[in-house]
Amino acid sequence: MSITAETCKEHAKDPAVLCCRAEAGITIGPENLEDPAIFDDLVDSGLLKLDGCLTIEEVLGAKLLKTCDSLSPLTADVVEGAKAPAAAEEVVEEVAPVAAPVNATTSVAGGMLKIHIGEGKDIDIQLPMGIGGGVAEVVEVPAAEGTAAVAAPVAAAPVAQEEKVIRSLTRKHFKVTEVKRGPETKFDGTVLYIREGIEEEAAASQKLVNSLKIDIITPENYHTYSETIMDVQPIATKEGDAEIGTGVTRVLDGVVMVVSGTDANGVQIGEFGSSEGYLDENIMWGRPGCPEKGEIFIKTEVIIKEGTNMERPGPLAAHTATDVITQEIREALKKLDESLVVDTEEFTQVRRPGKKKVVIVKEIMGQGAMHDNLILPVEPVGILGGKPNVDLGNVPVMTSPLEVLDGCIHALTCIGPASKEMSRHYWREPLVLETLHDEEVDLCGVLFVGSPQINAEKFYVSKRVGMMVEALDVDGAFVTTEGFGNNHIDFASHHEQIGMRGVPVVGMSFCAVQGALVVGNKYMTHMVDNNKSESGIENEVLGCNTLCHEDAIRALAMLKAAMAGEDVKKAEKKWNPNVKSTNIELIGNTRGAAVELVANEQSLPMSQKRKEKYD
Amino acid sequence: MKYGDKIIKMEGVIVEVHDGCVAIDLKGRLGYLKVPMRMMITDYPLKVGQEVAWNMSFVEQLGPEVNDKYVSNLDIYNRRQAEARAKNEANN
Repeated sequence: MSITAETCKEHAKDPAVLCCRAEAGITIGPENLEDPAIFDDLVDSGLLKLDGCLTIEEVLGAKLLKTCDSLSPLTADVVEGAKAPAAAEEVVEEVAPVAAPVNATTSVAGGMLKIHIGEGKDIDIQLPMGIGGGVAEVVEVPAAEGTAAVAAPVAAAPVAQEEKVIRSLTRKHFKVTEVKRGPETKFDGTVLYIREGIEEEAAASQKLVNSLKIDIITPENYHTYSETIMDVQPIATKEGDAEIGTGVTRVLDGVVMVVSGTDANGVQIGEFGSSEGYLDENIMWGRPGCPEKGEIFIKTEVIIKEGTNMERPGPLAAHTATDVITQEIREALKKLDESLVVDTEEFTQVRRPGKKKVVIVKEIMGQGAMHDNLILPVEPVGILGGKPNVDLGNVPVMTSPLEVLDGCIHALTCIGPASKEMSRHYWREPLVLETLHDEEVDLCGVLFVGSPQINAEKFYVSKRVGMMVEALDVDGAFVTTEGFGNNHIDFASHHEQIGMRGVPVVGMSFCAVQGALVVGNKYMTHMVDNNKSESGIENEVLGCNTLCHEDAIRALAMLKAAMAGEDVKKAEKKWNPNVKSTNIELIGNTRGAAVELVANEQSLPMSQKRKEKYD
Repeated sequence: MKYGDKIIKMEGVIVEVHDGCVAIDLKGRLGYLKVPMRMMITDYPLKVGQEVAWNMSFVEQLGPEVNDKYVSNLDIYNRRQAEARAKNEANN
């Protein structure tokens, strides 16, 4: 199929290939050229080779010297009068002579001039104005797998209006340096005592729980075998009558609750194995949802009735039994003396009228059993008062950013250890924090929507998301999801529902190689990949591929670009981690400070064998 | 992988439905597959006996080496399962 002059312009830098047989002597025009969109497949299947192929802008108006068949790439030997390549390439040439003698490399990637100089001195590099002068390029991801992009900050909103503080939340931190067992649950300075025998009570509280064991894991004992980690939770409580998201929250530093368990026959709860094993090899320390290195784990190993590990009440019973212990610690924490506060954090929910209004849509799992979340319990990440989103029909529920940061989601967390967002993730949600603190945008709320199992239900809830976003009158939206699977169907649908209302939307998900999107639509043009693993796969390391600060920065930069109407480049056909690094560099340049990247599984102790298997 | 893109359409029958997962017998006695709910794309409520299809390839060995970590995890897991079963039977 020939293309139009317009398509030629869009694809000026793409290879020029004849769409049909052309006679020698003709002047090459758009009608002779094939649409570059189809080349990837042809190259993959070996039907087309693009080596030495000229670009469309080079061949337009040139003379064909030889009669060629359809799908012949136009190379220099069959074309006369090809134009010189335009701007971008010239930049490389100008720089190259400087670079070459001192072991340097230059390349133009994604509209970005990269200069690497290994060693050298007295180097002067001059670039023409207008290149890299803060105008960043953006990369677009269509339906297919991909990563993403960035742009320069959006110009300040036209009318500066005063910020409005809606509500505030105070977090008082108490330090724990040691956890011991004792006759009652109490604090003695920074030592936490957990009552002996509480296990039996916790187990007895749930019909389905046969027994419960508490392991206190200190940093010296990190190299301990553990069943699959079901959840990591902060230990926090509200002061007085304050509700989640307002008032004062007390939280313990240096210790976390970790839920694990099996059924009575020893089969893992709600999990397909995978992250069981030695703790130090299986946890990506410091991810928002994970423990920090050095923290003490109060780990429960809950044994539930045989055969209930994959049924809805099973995982919930394990979480509820664990919460009996957490609740007793919370009660003791409430009584702690104010003088033991080591740190106070203040969060304010600020509305910024006149700035670009954005909403965060967070898709949470709602397929059933461990694919469930308790929304808005009474205590941070508690059980009591929380409503399972499966029971709510997975419909969208609006929360304030402060409710999110105050533990309004108790995640039952399902499969995919590397991509699941555990309860602690919401407590430290990077996108919410980053957007809340960004003075260029006005975050109006965080919308949670469940991901039901059946497609018809997925579209039902997705349409509600669309209506709600329409009613909110936002200028932009984020849609995030955890992991991959059928949740990508509603993820795509949320993009459509929001995008069709003319609202720019940026999606965030683990995609890379294994989580490649299964569906897409024309509104899925801005995508940020949460992958951190070396090979782009679910690498069985807890929390490795979850949304981190670096992803939040990229997504926010991309949404600003989208709201400013900047063009976003198409993603490459196959996952290419370089897109992310290029974008990170661009953002770093624009911000004037490099964006720090988190480590991945390569930083963990790893057996030689695993290395061979994965990387 | 050496045979990476040789995709075959497989069919199966749902033989178990749980809240969190589904088990499938591959037609022709070619195996058994148990997958979490979110790995299933479904238009209707799941029921035992429904037929399903998906694309897959043959399973290739990645090499002759044995990954000791997995062997160790499996040993511990199996041992614990055996202990748990024995204890569970004793209790009942």
